[in-house]
Amino acid sequence: MSRFSGKNAIVTDEALMRAVRGGDVARLGVLFERYHRPLFDFLARMTGDRAAAEDLVQDVFIRVLKYRATFRDEGRFETWIFRIARNARADWFKARRTPDDVLDEGADYASPAIAMDERLTRETEVACLERALLLLRADKRELIVLARYRGMKHEAIAELLGVEPGTVKVRIHRAVNELREIFLRLAESQSCNVKQSTHSFPIF
Amino acid sequence: MQCETVHAQLPDFLSHALTDAESEEIRLHLAGCRTCRNEADGFAETWRKLGSIASPDPDSARMRTRLTAIIDGFEHAIASAPAPGIRGRLAASFTRHSHHHLMRAASACALVAIGIAIGHYMVPLSGGSEKTRPTETSAEIVAMRGELRDLREMITLSLMQQQSASNRLKGVSWSGQIDRPSSEVVAALLDTLMHDPNVNVRLATIDALERFASQDVVRRGTIQAVDRQVSPLVQIALIDFMVKVNERESIGTLRRLSQDPKVNAAVRARAAWGLQQLG
Repeated sequence: MSRFSGKNAIVTDEALMRAVRGGDVARLGVLFERYHRPLFDFLARMTGDRAAAEDLVQDVFIRVLKYRATFRDEGRFETWIFRIARNARADWFKARRTPDDVLDEGADYASPAIAMDERLTRETEVACLERALLLLRADKRELIVLARYRGMKHEAIAELLGVEPGTVKVRIHRAVNELREIFLRLAESQSCNVKQSTHSFPIF
Repeated sequence: MQCETVHAQLPDFLSHALTDAESEEIRLHLAGCRTCRNEADGFAETWRKLGSIASPDPDSARMRTRLTAIIDGFEHAIASAPAPGIRGRLAASFTRHSHHHLMRAASACALVAIGIAIGHYMVPLSGGSEKTRPTETSAEIVAMRGELRDLREMITLSLMQQQSASNRLKGVSWSGQIDRPSSEVVAALLDTLMHDPNVNVRLATIDALERFASQDVVRRGTIQAVDRQVSPLVQIALIDFMVKVNERESIGTLRRLSQDPKVNAAVRARAAWGLQQLG
């Protein structure tokens, strides 16, 4: 039986991880099948770089092996592995010396840095929103990605971030509002464009 | 219901994650509050548009192949690591016999990774151009080398945390296979030297630390360890280590050992010898 096969469908993530922790590392293949797409989705949306996201997913599974002894019986595997993914992403940002906070609140979104030049072409509305999402501060973008794309419940996000569920709700609301402001300002300033050949956006 | 409460509930409301009663309460509030209605409209529009951004699609096959190599390497390394010999053969085991098997294990890991990289190079990537392949392959090889180093470190650190002394010995031995190990590995070795309850493990750790003797933290750590050790065998091994790396900072410690009547006679004699060598 392949270590990536789905014959373990009825086995919980936590049971599989306990097996990995106990030395049955082949079970990691099943966890990979279950989680590599959600992790890739999260990391690609957070970094805006799909090649980096693939490397980071790999890094996450290496860390799972490396720190498997730290998985606690009472913990939820999804929360644990996404915590690892957040750390991997933070390290990636540090290595690139890219500030986590891409844009400060109140910054001029129509600044020359993102202004149109002759090589730029008009983006669709979706691409514009995608651009706005990448311009949003990383911690706020993370909330939107987890809630909107990962479909995580507020309680799960709260556990992952170490805050109260009520705080998560308020922060998501603020993050979406701020995203909307960025989106509208990009659209109004007509700077919602990408370089066709050199820019890393759009990634999807 | 307060406006702030409504705002906080909007994501759940739009995702139909609220109970019927909660949803109805929000609808009622929105019907009577123009500010919240505008807020909700804007929020809902953005939330809906976010759903238009497609999910990225990973290259699952390539990722699966890389993970397979990592798991294979990990399993192979664990299976190939030799059982430690008895006390009298320990040193030789780590410098010759163990090395042989572990090198084979490490080589196997490297071959798996390099084989995959070559495979990627030889087989055209779907959708990729001829020009981009060598660069991508080089990047993959670099990435795989990094993964191999991570793998070796992971094996080393994992083994050193095991309850079984034989596994901890394997971990100490594995540290010798890591090219430019991280400070985490060096710190783990020093911690093992200080606290491992097994004499054989501590002795093997002294050998393993020798390659890091140029690091201040290692030299300071081994000097501290001389005082803390209760095993004469380990103390003597540490004195030999000091002499071998010409650690003159240890002279005070060696002098104290050589003059302390409570210290084992063999250790006192070795400390006196060490003082002569360093003097």
